[in-house]
Amino acid sequence: MTDTTLSSAAPGASRPVAAILVAAGLLGLALLLPERDPLGRPLPLSLILGGAFGVLLQRSRFCFFCVSRDFLDQRDARGLLGIVAALAVGLLGYHALFGAWVPVPAPGRLPPDAHIGPVSWVLAVGAFAFGVGMAVAGSCISAHLYRLGEGAGASPFALVGAAAGFGLGFLTWNPLYLTAIQEAPVVWLPNVLGYAGSLAVQLGVLAALSVWLMRYPWPREAPASGAFEAVFRRRWPAHLGGVLIGALATVAYFRVGPLGVTAELGSLARTAADGAGLLPGRLEGLDGLAGCATAIKETLLSRNGVFVAGLVLGAFAAALAAGDFRPRAPRRAEILRALGGGVLMGWGAMVSLGCTVGVLLSGIMAGALSGWVFAAFCLAGLWLGWRVRQRLER
Amino acid sequence: MTLRASLRSATIAVCALWASGAAASDFLVDTAWLEANLNDPRTRVIEVSVNPGVFERGHIQGASNFVWHTNLVDPVRRDIASREALERRLREAGVDADSTVILYGDTNNWFAAWGAWIFDIYGVQNVKLLDGGRKKWEAEGRPLATRPATPKPGSIVLAEANTALRARLGDVVAAAEKRSDVALVDIRSADEYNGKVIAPAGVQELAIRAGHVPGAVNVPWGAAVAADGTFKPVEELRKIYAAQGIDGSKPVITYCRIGERSSHTWFALSKLLGYDVRNYDGSWTEYGNSVGVPVVNVAGTVWTGR
Repeated sequence: MTDTTLSSAAPGASRPVAAILVAAGLLGLALLLPERDPLGRPLPLSLILGGAFGVLLQRSRFCFFCVSRDFLDQRDARGLLGIVAALAVGLLGYHALFGAWVPVPAPGRLPPDAHIGPVSWVLAVGAFAFGVGMAVAGSCISAHLYRLGEGAGASPFALVGAAAGFGLGFLTWNPLYLTAIQEAPVVWLPNVLGYAGSLAVQLGVLAALSVWLMRYPWPREAPASGAFEAVFRRRWPAHLGGVLIGALATVAYFRVGPLGVTAELGSLARTAADGAGLLPGRLEGLDGLAGCATAIKETLLSRNGVFVAGLVLGAFAAALAAGDFRPRAPRRAEILRALGGGVLMGWGAMVSLGCTVGVLLSGIMAGALSGWVFAAFCLAGLWLGWRVRQRLER
Repeated sequence: MTLRASLRSATIAVCALWASGAAASDFLVDTAWLEANLNDPRTRVIEVSVNPGVFERGHIQGASNFVWHTNLVDPVRRDIASREALERRLREAGVDADSTVILYGDTNNWFAAWGAWIFDIYGVQNVKLLDGGRKKWEAEGRPLATRPATPKPGSIVLAEANTALRARLGDVVAAAEKRSDVALVDIRSADEYNGKVIAPAGVQELAIRAGHVPGAVNVPWGAAVAADGTFKPVEELRKIYAAQGIDGSKPVITYCRIGERSSHTWFALSKLLGYDVRNYDGSWTEYGNSVGVPVVNVAGTVWTGR
């Protein structure tokens, strides 16, 4: 697959004026939004945080599949180290908030709206399907969103596929919930280990992962000619992007809610399917679970909707400045792969209550066992998908 | 202190409060009063919000968070919180016998009023609502804190539950069948009252009949609220309810769907107007599911199981 986002690809022409216009449009939109959503969370801030997230994803090429493939294909571990950096910084930030919000993490107490989900075989299967899906579709849902801003022609198909996958998820939800999810334990590590223990164990795992990843040599790159080129034209080092994403995740959790990119997509799918009478009258237990909630839409503007809109616009502005905005019509095979991978990702994200951002990033940062389980099975699915594609494309 | 001296100092205190625009009545405090009295060790602030995560992201400094579905009700059987559980929670929040307890919350103090009703049932003294609740406090840009307070444990002792403040199904059926001389106030929306819908939009139908209790008048809870979220002036409230025949000449029972919005009207009628009022916490989700009780269903909506 020819990715427009590969770091080796030569950048196109920079369009600074267009980039400034898009960024100004994003800020203008923030002024037009209502101050708060029905839960009292600030909508303009959600849009701006989404914009910042989009810039960070685009600039540091924070794409879970791309960085995993860099490692699998070329033993280039820089991108994976970026993810580890994001998790470590986010873990510290979340735990700092937790210490204030839930001073004693006694069993049964959970921090408000953190993405701590039930751990069952459904989560494992959903994460595995998501991993296979992102390998097939070329990147996960968040990366397809930022690549929309780069003009990637296949990304809309991946998102359509994901919406359809969400629909399948809703159709299979009730039996899965009743057989596995309802009785599944919701494990918040601070409940078991305390805050110090939770941090020690999880940072220890991340440190061990980093040490292992650091064994691989970094490819040599010519230094940037100056600050402008380093900031606006070159890809940012993945670990820089990771550290900033960890910080952004903390601020987002503090002021708006945990990072997530599928709630709005899922809500749109659910509202559409429900309106068409395709869904069971009731999705058991779904609206009571923590994660990327996919409620029937009652208001046009949701905090996740404006966050995702900001993400796409932020990535668009960053891509214009960098010369990474190169619209390209997808080939038929790419369209089919994006649709099929999207369906797998959508189904997986629905039954896992989120994706690589909502469950993997926001879950692990929150000390949720569900985040770690998702990460492990998602990587396993990704590896399988990568292997199969390697065989087929050889 | 001589009587004269104490009168003078009382006058000065009242004038000072009046001049600062801050006011506290027996049952309401305004936002300015609360901000000025936050550091008074006898003031204990308790937030009861419906939406999760609201308290943690910013609450009035020193406030304790009471979760309505665990701290104010029995989590297993349908009932108000037990005396023991509530006493424990209030002591954790640092409430003593002589504390002034200020309740506030989101969505117009609905569940804060529910808290006030339950505190009253267990004989907690000096309980007041922050007039306008979170909405007004935020609209005025007053400061919020994010770190929880760790008050010194209190020593309050709760009384046995005072059943005179609480209506049960039998009381409401008796009123519906005219076996008792009680006025009923249904505070739900007109569509719920008339039976056009069983529950408000976005809320699951938890009753299998539509309509209202015979004899109930419909005064939606919002009728008592001004645009800024505060209660309307007492004289205005008196007129609004009197226009529907609720004038305090006979005992009143308020109800809604689950008993929490009706606590808001209970507060207005019993505390601000001084009427004899019981809140029916079983409300429509009990009455509308009860077998053989009389119902008025103007719209004629039939429950079909969907």
